Amino acid sequence: MRIKIVLHYLGLLIAITGLTMLLPLFWSLFNNGTDTSAFAISTAISLVLGLLLWRVLPVKEKGMNRREAIMLVAASWIAASFFGALPYVLSGAIPSFLDAYFESMSGYTTTGATVFTSIETQAEGILLWRSLTQWLGGMGIIMLFVALFPILGIGTAHLTEAEMPGGQQGERLTARMQDTAKALWFIYFGMTITEFILLRIAGLPIFDALTVTLSTTPTGGFTATNLSIGTYNSLFVETIVIFFMIAAGVNFGLYYFLIFKRQPKRLLNNSEFRLYIALIILVTLILNIDLIINMGLPFGEALRYSSFQTVSIMTTTGFATADFNVWTNFAKSMLLVLMIIGASAGSTGGALKVIRLLVLAKYTYNRILLAFNPRAVIPLKIERGIIPEGVISRIIGLAILYFATLVICFLIMGSLGLDNITALSSVIATLGNIGPGLGMVGPIENYAFIPPLGKGVLTFCMLAGRLELFTLLMLFTPAFWRWR
Amino acid sequence: MYVVIAGGGAIGFHIASLLVEEGHQVIVIELAETVLATFRRQLDVKAIQGNAATPKILREAEAGQADLVLAVTNSDEVNMVTCFMAKELGARTTAARIRNPDYSGYFVTPTKSAIATRRIVRPKSFGVDVFINPEAEAADEITSILSGVYSTPVENFADGLVQIREFRIEGEALVNKTLGDITFPKPCVVAAIVHEGGIITPESNIVITESDSVYLIASREYMDELGKIFSQPKRPAKKVVVLGGNRIGFLTADGLQRRGVKVKVIENNPHLCQEIAAKLENVDVILGDGTDRSFLIEQGVSSADAFVATTESDELNILCGLLAKNLGVPRSLVVINRPGYIPLAEAIGVDVAALPTILAADKITRFVLHGGAISAALLEGQQLQAIEFVTSPTAGIVNKKISEAGLPGEAIAGAIVRDDSVIIPPHDSIIRAGDHIIIVSPLSIVPTVEKLFK
Repeated sequence: MRIKIVLHYLGLLIAITGLTMLLPLFWSLFNNGTDTSAFAISTAISLVLGLLLWRVLPVKEKGMNRREAIMLVAASWIAASFFGALPYVLSGAIPSFLDAYFESMSGYTTTGATVFTSIETQAEGILLWRSLTQWLGGMGIIMLFVALFPILGIGTAHLTEAEMPGGQQGERLTARMQDTAKALWFIYFGMTITEFILLRIAGLPIFDALTVTLSTTPTGGFTATNLSIGTYNSLFVETIVIFFMIAAGVNFGLYYFLIFKRQPKRLLNNSEFRLYIALIILVTLILNIDLIINMGLPFGEALRYSSFQTVSIMTTTGFATADFNVWTNFAKSMLLVLMIIGASAGSTGGALKVIRLLVLAKYTYNRILLAFNPRAVIPLKIERGIIPEGVISRIIGLAILYFATLVICFLIMGSLGLDNITALSSVIATLGNIGPGLGMVGPIENYAFIPPLGKGVLTFCMLAGRLELFTLLMLFTPAFWRWR
Repeated sequence: MYVVIAGGGAIGFHIASLLVEEGHQVIVIELAETVLATFRRQLDVKAIQGNAATPKILREAEAGQADLVLAVTNSDEVNMVTCFMAKELGARTTAARIRNPDYSGYFVTPTKSAIATRRIVRPKSFGVDVFINPEAEAADEITSILSGVYSTPVENFADGLVQIREFRIEGEALVNKTLGDITFPKPCVVAAIVHEGGIITPESNIVITESDSVYLIASREYMDELGKIFSQPKRPAKKVVVLGGNRIGFLTADGLQRRGVKVKVIENNPHLCQEIAAKLENVDVILGDGTDRSFLIEQGVSSADAFVATTESDELNILCGLLAKNLGVPRSLVVINRPGYIPLAEAIGVDVAALPTILAADKITRFVLHGGAISAALLEGQQLQAIEFVTSPTAGIVNKKISEAGLPGEAIAGAIVRDDSVIIPPHDSIIRAGDHIIIVSPLSIVPTVEKLFK
């Protein structure tokens, strides 16, 4: 592996991270915020260090191989979170660097778990930066990099494959990976602008509309208020947010065919999309009934809460309009299961993904059929295509890895003295990039009280979950390093 | 440009990598999943699994939007049907690899006259705009090399007025001299130096070592004289041994005997021997093993002017080429399919005559030409491209000196052709509209160069 190449492009990425800090910097500057100098220093540090790294290690040969690409993807997420944490520390908003790193990683990975005990008292620049990191991480920092710089040759394909949620399910839309990245960012950008305008129409102030938008389209979950979306107490706002959360949880490739190729059938006939919508409707109805019967809420109010919470959890956003921590155990179990399923492949959402659930379910069913007739040949079909054996075993492997990580991290969290519900849900909520969990990390609570080791484990979970485990865990295998 | 390539064999892969390098959008269709995995791993292309000769797959690849649909699967029939359907779907141009002479007419008209070919088969009626027969091209190239005095292929530009030729440094006289020290008897431009398989942009302080090669641009009439300072000219071959009786071997033998060369074909498949012996009456066909040294001596290989190895196995060709060289044959040419073997063969002193894959790619590049370019050739495997541009009146470089025209550093202007007169070296002359300019540049720079001439 040519470490030089990785560091060269990493430098460029760090510099871009620095440039993105200009938005909160200017916001703070024009509103006379207290955090202006923090952003100015952070921008300067990132730009100088990044450009220095980029210039000191010039790269002659073009392109990069798979190993280098994987290394660059993992390193760039770690580095972006590092430099993204600077404003929190320098402004004094989060004194401990570990806490700041947790917050920053929670932003980039679109998790939305926070260490702030009170959000509203923070400077506006800091709050805007939190939401902006989510927006950048939603479509992927590497994806943005690839869209901007056509320099990597075949490296681009390796890079995006290592970052894209859904991995090999993430279909290449155009001949050149760079065009795919551009198209995806275009759709993402369009979605963001639309939501912002609609929220403004709904009456939110510019700052609130901006932070909410920047956290909805990446299915992030940070808000600038303590009570999340519940603060606004507006049905109109909630409807808009629900719509865009659902939209952001759909495979963006399907939008590409809808918008650029005029093929709406590809969206409507997509089995993952159908199952995703069906699950949302089903769980909303069940929760709705549960809320009416067991909590005594009137139908309208129950529907309002149940639909918002189902969508928010299923898409792994993590916004809240109600404290579902006080709901019935059945409702909480439902939400916990949704946290593991997550959104669609190729969307900005996290967790296991609906398509994988579908493949696993069909595979298990086929296994049952094979148990009584071992000679039967039963191909695993999704829509009309047969899923190749290699893809199936990759999905099974990923699912096993997902649950193994979950179990191990749960044990560690438990060993730190957290109660079972908190320990389990904190791991599920970070591994799936959701944000709020249950118990002491519930929707109106925060992660500030978790011991340092616990925060480290959860930070790892967030990154591992965002990069879908393989990309990150590959770095820990001896074989990856043996043949460099 | 948007290019759809059907078939992921050696030729498909080679052309795809060239097109990607030049920044085109490429879609590859291929049946075998393992081959597709290689494409996905190594090239920035979209890979589709399926049979290219079906409308469903072609529609998925959006062949109707394609500027070029290229069918290079193993089957002529699949290639033709693919082109036919792509044309029906609305592709702008199509090209296919067609090897069977019954389709392409190569056997019947060795003159390769376009009109004569069309009288026999009409690929156009299958929707094939251009058809490539890599084997026939390879045989053509071998024949033309053997009738010249140097063992290296030549590229013609401006209707043959200007040539680009590779010369291997053989004489002691030039070794360890710098490029600036060499005095050329006639005007010429050094376009590139090949050192240990890599390309070096020529500058006057570069030291030449043994086994380097140089690419020289000069007028046709001076080429042979200029060649003398690099390597000894050899007389055109009069007695040639061809190893292998498959398509390339057969076509080479046929082409050579038509030029009055004595040809001996060695082939170890009795059926094939029978077949070609029946077709080629003036050629000696010998049944035997080309790796058998004593057999080769017995057949008088040592007294031949040239030895050509054309079997389907690259390894066998290189080995036998070396054996012939060892037996004292002055010129030993081999056919190689995998570009990766070129440095190997050259390192042991065997001349690589033809790579069917690269010849096919070369023909495609000529065809894919865009901007003001009217002719092009690939040099040194796939590293360099020589292009003949016609300067458009609106181009930014008109009325400027070439040295001030803003050409990228790696691109070398080799010649200007104006009203049938050749200007070499062209650096101080002023470019006029309508001038033909021959540029040698690395592939990745080509798009930048093209813009200058538009």
